[in-house]
Amino acid sequence: MKKYKENTFNVIDQQQSILQPWQDPRVLSRYRTRKLKNSLFKIFPIVSLLAILYPLLDILYMFAYKGVQVISFTRLTGLTSGYVGLANEIVGTFFLIALSSAIVIPMGVSGGIYMAEFSRKSKYTEMVHFVIDILAGVPSIVLGYAGYLLLVLYLGCGFSALAGAITLSVLMLPYIIRTTELSLNRVPTSIREAATALGCTKTTMINRLTLRFALPGILTGILLAISIAFGETAALLFTTGASDYMPTGALCNSQVGYLTYAIFQFSPFQSPFASANNLAYLAAFLLIIIVLSINIIARIGLRRLSKI
Amino acid sequence: MALNKIIIIGVIAAAVIIGVGSAIFFTNGNNSGNTNPASSITATNPAGTSTLSAVTLSETGSTLLYPLFNLWVPAYTAASPNVHITTAGTGSGTGISQASTGTVQIGASDAYMLDSQMSQTPDMLNIPLAISAQQINYNVPEIPASTHLNLSGPVLAGIYNGSITYWDDPQIKDINQAVANLLPHKVIIPIHRSDGSGDTFIFTQYLTKSTPSWSNAIGFGTTVNWPSVSSSQAALGNGGMVQASAQNKYSIAYIGVSFFDDAEKAGLGYAFLQNKDGNFVDITKDNINSAASALVSQTPTDERISLVYAPGPNSYPIINYEYAIVKKTQSNPDTATALSTFLNWALDPNNGNSPQFLDKVHFIPLPPSIVQLSKAQIAQIQ
Amino acid sequence: MQHRSADKIYKYVTAMGGGNALLFIFVIGAILVIFSYPSLVVNGLHFFSSITWNPHLSGEMITMNGIKTISGASYGMVVFAVGTLISSALALLFGVPIGLGVAIFLSQTAPKKVTAPISFLVEMMAGIPSVIYGFWGFIVLGPFLLNVVEPGLAAHLSFIPFFNPPVYGYGLLASGMILALMIVPIIASISRDAMLQTPKELKEGAVALGLTKWEFIRSMVLPFAKTSIIGSIILGLGRSLGETMAVAMVAGGAVNYLPHTFFYSTNTMAAFMALSMDSAFTDPSGMFISALVELALVLMIITTTVNVIARALVKRGFISSETVIKI
Repeated sequence: MKKYKENTFNVIDQQQSILQPWQDPRVLSRYRTRKLKNSLFKIFPIVSLLAILYPLLDILYMFAYKGVQVISFTRLTGLTSGYVGLANEIVGTFFLIALSSAIVIPMGVSGGIYMAEFSRKSKYTEMVHFVIDILAGVPSIVLGYAGYLLLVLYLGCGFSALAGAITLSVLMLPYIIRTTELSLNRVPTSIREAATALGCTKTTMINRLTLRFALPGILTGILLAISIAFGETAALLFTTGASDYMPTGALCNSQVGYLTYAIFQFSPFQSPFASANNLAYLAAFLLIIIVLSINIIARIGLRRLSKI
Repeated sequence: MALNKIIIIGVIAAAVIIGVGSAIFFTNGNNSGNTNPASSITATNPAGTSTLSAVTLSETGSTLLYPLFNLWVPAYTAASPNVHITTAGTGSGTGISQASTGTVQIGASDAYMLDSQMSQTPDMLNIPLAISAQQINYNVPEIPASTHLNLSGPVLAGIYNGSITYWDDPQIKDINQAVANLLPHKVIIPIHRSDGSGDTFIFTQYLTKSTPSWSNAIGFGTTVNWPSVSSSQAALGNGGMVQASAQNKYSIAYIGVSFFDDAEKAGLGYAFLQNKDGNFVDITKDNINSAASALVSQTPTDERISLVYAPGPNSYPIINYEYAIVKKTQSNPDTATALSTFLNWALDPNNGNSPQFLDKVHFIPLPPSIVQLSKAQIAQIQ
Repeated sequence: MQHRSADKIYKYVTAMGGGNALLFIFVIGAILVIFSYPSLVVNGLHFFSSITWNPHLSGEMITMNGIKTISGASYGMVVFAVGTLISSALALLFGVPIGLGVAIFLSQTAPKKVTAPISFLVEMMAGIPSVIYGFWGFIVLGPFLLNVVEPGLAAHLSFIPFFNPPVYGYGLLASGMILALMIVPIIASISRDAMLQTPKELKEGAVALGLTKWEFIRSMVLPFAKTSIIGSIILGLGRSLGETMAVAMVAGGAVNYLPHTFFYSTNTMAAFMALSMDSAFTDPSGMFISALVELALVLMIITTTVNVIARALVKRGFISSETVIKI
């Protein structure tokens, strides 16, 4: 059986294995075209793969090369003022992410719990699914515009951490709701049945059993959402502003610097100084490291999840 | 037991929703200018002798002025540790609008506020801090590096509106007799900025003032209605302009003087420009100075004046004041004092306006009488 | 009794979470409509038919239909709409075959040992921030196209329309290629998942019929995964239509002219919105901002439509829930 599987497609691909009793030239020529097509086809996936891996590796190589050249203790711990370092952008990015996580995680997780545990297949759930699809597709620059108009301008929060964090949370929400719901849905029914049989209330069942089972999945979703937030620029351009100093901690009317803006602002097309350009390369390098490591952790979590 | 958890989760969710809402409104309450509690005692004087209150000033705006602020601020705050100044390069438009709404104290801008903008927010001061200039770069390999092409407003307008398409156009040959035979029959690629920019503002102002047809059809602004020229190209940022011009042979670009060294390194030539008196002048410190001084007597007390196309035989035509846009009435006296002190420092020829800072970005210090006008404006800050 | 009310509280508290999504989408829509209202009134249909985007900032402020604007200002989105559509179309042109090729490789032809690392790399691509793609595009891709690829294309393919010199580097081709890089992971991972679900019976049938691998994929795998593949392509389209930073850095930023060849500079709605907001702040009438918001509104309507269709298709197809999470 195993042998058969391995050779599945070699029956025709290898000429000697075809023993045609008739030698009709038409059949032969058709066979040759088929074989030609097949061998042409064999190249196609490889070519596509190279077409996509080459730029990817080039990007990784370029930023790793430049990044290693410019990385230094002062550049990591100094303030941007005077193009010394990126400390405030690093802190600012984490500050923004922490703030938006604090806003969006309770929202998203509870939204997912409601749909998976209280109202499966209801009108409400259908509508939320639909809205999440829309929300996940709204371009981030449009979110940035809406955030600017509502939070910065209309509510007067100014360019600030809060305006940026709320805009980011809108970006993150669909991912978190969706993963929470999916992970909860995958919790085996037997567990729910057992809980009900033991007389658990729904609340106890969710908190003590199903959430615990679904936790790896939920965390994965949160991590993916966070990695998207780390790389976001357009949504923050007109909501967070920029700053060369450490975030003050004030939520409104205090601009915050962040890594993606450093890439945009200090790259060679905006700044004539090599010291600034080096910061852009370093910011890109750091961002790649952060985003990739979050992704790796999340994927490992995801793989484990699918093994449950 | 279970109830505890519900309550915890409920409280978290409710707190987040309420917290977000109220945070906006609470912080909104004191948005009149100072986020960071300006008078809060955040740090004591390192000397420990007196406990002065620390003041935070925020600056945002022009990406052209940003590098200068980045040189000024560390030097200034080293000398006066009680003042904390934050800087950011976000664009002139952002600088003006942020200063107008009072979310920052200093809005940096390449352009002064137009009358229509002033009528919306009459409380604003436009204080020149330094003089910047713009060079016209070209990439024509046939022209040796030792010579510079002569270009005039009408010729540039012709190039940018598509009526002059080749480098060997008679109009270009006319003003370049010495190298007329070297000019190639190649299509000119005019490059303009793709993002809104103060550089576009002063360049189009030069065209507007020197060429009536440009003035009627296009006008000036940080973004203008560029005529459709099939060979034209746009680039992002001054660095993008340098790169685009370096890569496209036979291109022409207007580039902020901060990028002078970059453009030279990229092998681009720069042009002598025709001024109001009809002379073709180099972009030297002296020529920029003479343009600025030519307009000193006409400068109004609010200092909103364009320096573009100044009269005088040696005046370089495309220069501008770099402005600090500030509100007359500050939210509290400490901020007002700190703001005036800093601006006065920046204007002082021995401090902020010294070559030690300005030379690095190729800016020119203000003429003494303009410094006096600026100081008079700073005195209005309360 | 206490427990049941606890359940109720729990239910209502959690219901608020999902309700926020409804609230957000409503607020975003409302904000965009309210702030684009002046532009909707003043510019009217002209907005959709004109190629001229001219804020005319040096003009006088006037009042038109009770709304402040600048005399001589004209706002038309055609250049940006065309740029958005063509660059996304190019992205699909490059991205779809490559994405499908990668999906076929990963699901059908790859040796077992390399599947995992390559799947991993492809998924990494989806995680790289767009500003980094843009930075790379600006430093590496643009000059490479200008100096190597485009002169070659222009020299040998100029008999085909849209491949005529001159060449510029930053422009339609560069935007299309950068966008293709960004949508390939989407197309590849969803299509791979759908292809992996091809029933064993079909494969056995194909072997029994003596089909070559190509014939098997073309006649069985692709039709089986069709819905998901189309869904993934439309999803990629949605992503590329709304992509901002990467395109802003390589598009060249054309205003007021339409591209004549694939080498021309161009501009997309999203990129223009990101780069023009600062200028818009200097328009005292506020019409510039309003027009940009109208652009945002139009972009949102387009991408929403595309996305809803795509997601419906993807979900109707056969893919695992992990992939649904990722998109």
